[in-house]
Amino acid sequence: MYSDRGSLVPRFLHTADWQMGRSFSRFETEDGAALVEARYAAIEKLAQLAVEQECDAVLVAGDVFDAQAVSDRTIRRVFNATSVFKGPWIMLPGNHDAALAESVWTRARRLDAVPGNIHLALEAGVILLEEQRLAVLTAPLTQRHTYTDLTEDFKDRETPQGFLRIGLAHGSVQGVLPDDVDSTNPIAPDRVDLANLDYLALGDWHGTKEINERTWYSGTPEPERFRNNDAGYALVVTIPEPGAVPEITSHEIARYRWHQWRETLSVPSDLDRLIERMEELPETSVLDIRLDGAITLEGLQRLDHALSLAEARFRSVACDRASLQLEPTEDDIASLHADGYLGDVIEELQMRQGGDSPGPARDALAILAGMLKSRDQGVNQ
Amino acid sequence: MKLQRLRIEQVRQFRTPIALDDLQPGINLIHGPNESGKSTLVRAIRAAFFERHRSKSVEDLRPWGDSAAAPAIELSFEHGGHQWSLTKSFLQRKRCDLQIDGQSFSGEEAEEKLAELLGYQFPKKGGSKEEHWGIPGLLWVEQGTGQDIEKAVEHAGDHLKSALNNLVGEVASTGGDDVIQAIEKQRAELLTGTGKPRGEYLQLEKERAGLEAEIAELGARIEQYQAQVDRLGILTSEFERANRDRPWEEARRRMEQAQQHLRQVESLQAQQLREQETLDHVRQHLKLLHQNREQMQSQGKKLEQREADLCKARELLVEEEARTPALDQAVRDAREEYDTAVRIVEQARQHEIRTRLKQEIARLQGQYKTSRQSLDKAAEFQQKLDEARQQKQENRVDADAVQQARATRRQLDEERIRSQTIATRLTWQLEPGQSLELNNESLEGKGERRLLDESTMQIPGVGRLGIYPGGEDLASVRRNLARLEQALDEKLRELGVRSLDEAEHKLAHYQDATSRLKHSEDLLLSVAPQGLERLRTVTRDTLAELEARKEELNALLDASGTADDYPPSLADAERARKQVESRLSGAEAARRQHEKAVLTARQNVQNANREWEQLAEELSKSESQRQLQELVERISASEKRESELVTTLASLDKKIRDARPDLLQQDIQRFRQAAETQQKAQENRERELRDVRVRLEAWGAEGLEEQLSEKSGELEHANRRYEELHRRAEALDLLLNVLSEKRQALTRRLQAPLQKHLDHYLSVLFPEATLEVDEHLMPGRFSRGSELGTMTELSFGAREQMGLISRLAYADLLREAGRPTLIILDDTLVHSDAERLDGMKRILFDAAHRHQILLFTCHPEKWQDLGVEPRDLQALKSQAVS
Repeated sequence: MYSDRGSLVPRFLHTADWQMGRSFSRFETEDGAALVEARYAAIEKLAQLAVEQECDAVLVAGDVFDAQAVSDRTIRRVFNATSVFKGPWIMLPGNHDAALAESVWTRARRLDAVPGNIHLALEAGVILLEEQRLAVLTAPLTQRHTYTDLTEDFKDRETPQGFLRIGLAHGSVQGVLPDDVDSTNPIAPDRVDLANLDYLALGDWHGTKEINERTWYSGTPEPERFRNNDAGYALVVTIPEPGAVPEITSHEIARYRWHQWRETLSVPSDLDRLIERMEELPETSVLDIRLDGAITLEGLQRLDHALSLAEARFRSVACDRASLQLEPTEDDIASLHADGYLGDVIEELQMRQGGDSPGPARDALAILAGMLKSRDQGVNQ
Repeated sequence: MKLQRLRIEQVRQFRTPIALDDLQPGINLIHGPNESGKSTLVRAIRAAFFERHRSKSVEDLRPWGDSAAAPAIELSFEHGGHQWSLTKSFLQRKRCDLQIDGQSFSGEEAEEKLAELLGYQFPKKGGSKEEHWGIPGLLWVEQGTGQDIEKAVEHAGDHLKSALNNLVGEVASTGGDDVIQAIEKQRAELLTGTGKPRGEYLQLEKERAGLEAEIAELGARIEQYQAQVDRLGILTSEFERANRDRPWEEARRRMEQAQQHLRQVESLQAQQLREQETLDHVRQHLKLLHQNREQMQSQGKKLEQREADLCKARELLVEEEARTPALDQAVRDAREEYDTAVRIVEQARQHEIRTRLKQEIARLQGQYKTSRQSLDKAAEFQQKLDEARQQKQENRVDADAVQQARATRRQLDEERIRSQTIATRLTWQLEPGQSLELNNESLEGKGERRLLDESTMQIPGVGRLGIYPGGEDLASVRRNLARLEQALDEKLRELGVRSLDEAEHKLAHYQDATSRLKHSEDLLLSVAPQGLERLRTVTRDTLAELEARKEELNALLDASGTADDYPPSLADAERARKQVESRLSGAEAARRQHEKAVLTARQNVQNANREWEQLAEELSKSESQRQLQELVERISASEKRESELVTTLASLDKKIRDARPDLLQQDIQRFRQAAETQQKAQENRERELRDVRVRLEAWGAEGLEEQLSEKSGELEHANRRYEELHRRAEALDLLLNVLSEKRQALTRRLQAPLQKHLDHYLSVLFPEATLEVDEHLMPGRFSRGSELGTMTELSFGAREQMGLISRLAYADLLREAGRPTLIILDDTLVHSDAERLDGMKRILFDAAHRHQILLFTCHPEKWQDLGVEPRDLQALKSQAVS
């Protein structure tokens, strides 16, 4: 972009981990398709954002594709989705789409799907964007697993005077991320200083994360799992001149938000709170609930009701009640009008719920209660 | 329930209406003989309740052959204070009308009301069967089925239970059974009767397996794909490195080096060959030179040798000549000796000839003498021979003819004797002087004659007497005699003799002459085997030879004169001569040998002398000395050349050996192969690269990993759904189990009142016995004292009794539940003995206090003591007729 005074102020969009080609078929067909579509929409949104923010370039720090062997259609659609932003894109192969001898990238080229303004950083080196005065030092992954720091030689790569030195890499910054012991694709945390970089754009961690003021993970623009908070954003990075501290703004891209709740129901108000929370969620939610504790028959009805509402509202709702006990109250049972031996049956099932295999007993109880309820309602009507 | 009236019309044999009025609340005993219509009545009651009026399965109700019939049944009964009356007709007029306290129902509505009241159901189609009969099936006992209680209870089942529900004091469950049914239905959607998955549940199970297989296959293919990608990476880098390094060119360069090196070695080898040839040439030349020199050097020695030879030859000649006189003398001596020996041999031969002649003469003289004697004897034998021959000639006779004559004579004699015996005998004795003349023959004196022929006796003086011999044989005898006499005469004539004796005599002479002739011949042959003439010639010859020998000897004796010295034998003399002869020839040969040796020695001396002179002359010339000198020089030059060549060859050989041409050959081959292999490998890499690229392009387009991701999701989805169904199936299973369990527990609670009623009746029949009711409300275990078993194990009679007791107990239970309890017994208890029947009567009488009982029988006498008025069906019929 150009400043108000007309001088060039380099600005670029930092994104990563698109994971295109991932499918969500464990959800219902319709939901899965919507989630897939959302990822293409995210790319379009990124392009749009780059235009709006007058970015000079878009840097994608790896894992554009979720796998090497994705369909031709997926490849074409990905590149098509970038069309709004006509400026340069630099795409870096990550661990999912490493630049192997035969890779999704070579296929994309063979398909002639890569537009002219998209640079594929299939080899380590420096990509000079003369016009934008950007020198992008790339560290593509060329094997499925790498155990050396590919950014090690950044310090040796020379860039023209007056160009920003931007590193583009994919991997785990050592000692910063959780669970990164023995992780592949290591990256030194002080690479920026060692290699005299103005900024190091990273991919691999799916949430937006600042390592230091010049080193960031952008995270995936569209969440695709329940873990990794702070996913669903892209970073707009502005660096007025070489050596200046980057100005970084985070922009939400995500359409769907993924929520995973682990709740214990013990008192009636717990259920109220759960239902309230559900009601507060936006429609673009993917919800996964796992419940334990105990619930009354009446509570169960309310829960079922709330879930059926949620199913209609949200993109996807899953509720695991395997660990939830059904504990009917006196009133519950009275309301069932279970006379004669049916009463004995309810008693027996309740007792069994406390036994060795509570699951089937609870389910049986729920089925029976449901049946009696519906019968009563039928009678009442 | 109290049945008050029953009327039927056009049912089987009841073509005209018949009515049973005034039925009593207790026992009603209806009797009649077989085929009087008892069963028809029972059938009519059943049809009225169980059969739909529209049913087509009631043809059995139709009177025989009446196609226009409309069987009709009218029933009136009271229950729970309400008056019911039913009119039902079938077939030609299908109607059903029911009035309950004046309120009318008809058709199926009426039928359903009845079914609900009594607790049975209608069949969906066809005639009503056992399983539809419900509670009446239990209480209305058909002929001969009283003992079969189980089926009846089973069919009554639900009706029974619902009827008894309010008995247990609490509500069993309103709709509990509905719940069970609903749960069963839901469970059946997921599980089969035996608990195996079905429907969607089963489908999911299969789907999961299918997905897992697909995922495994995709996984494998992705692995292949990745392996190919890796291969591509390796190949590409190998290919590029090879293209850069071009190792085959290096190999080819080194091959050329080796080839050049080898060419150098080969030129050395050619040189070596040439040098070797030269060396061989020089050596051959040298050999010739050496030979020449040796030849020259040998001439001097030869001259000395020849001189020595000459001396030796002379010495030899002298030696030989010295031996000559001795040898001559030896020859002369030997010759003298030989001559003497020859003379002696001549003398010996003369002497031997003489001796042989003398012996010859002696032998010839002997021979001559013998010949003479033989000749004399031969002459004598010849004379005898001639005599014998003459005698033989004179007495020549045929011996056989004589023999025949002799035989004929004998026959004649025999015939004569016979004729004498049969002949007429004539004897006479005449006075002397007197004579008779018989056949002109005079007879005198005395005599006898046998007469064969007619004879005439002339008695002189007296006259003549004719005598005629008699008998018939006589004539033939006479003829035979005549024939034989004639034959004999003929033979004798042939023989030329007069009598047989003469012939005999002649024959004897002949035979004697023959024998003498043979004897003389043999003798003659012994002295002159070759004949007399020959013997004479031999004798003559012998004499002549003898004379010749005598002359010869005489001549010899005359010539030698002194013939009496005894010289040695001829053989000895000859042997001595031969010895001397060989000695002579040995001596002569020695002398010849010696002469030859002398000649040879002399020749040798001459030759040696000549050769020595020749050589001596030759050697004295200077030319040969010069030649020898030259030869020596040439030899020395050649020897030097030879040594040079040997050195050169050795150095060449070393050079060649050091260069190892064999290894060089191998190097060339090795480098050539290396270059080819590497270039080939590069070509292969290029080809494989192309193949792998093509393959990867094809596989890549399939989007395998995307597919895998999709399938994995689907599997997860299917798994989740499966788990849900699995849990639901488990829950339903459990729920159904618990429900059934609880329901059974309830049923068990109904057992108690039934047991109470059962015990009540049983104690009348068997005071000590128990019959337990099981959870299905079925009479089960029976015990009596130590006896224990189920009801089915009892005798037929006992089973029938137990069956009836059980039915009455059910009836009591039903009555308590406020249900109608009409009991119909068709000819029951026919297998009970009097005692049991008595007990059963007490039971029935007791039951009749609570229930209406219709008892049909064909043995009214058995039931006389039941305390009710029996109703005669026959009578009813006659009433109807009237």
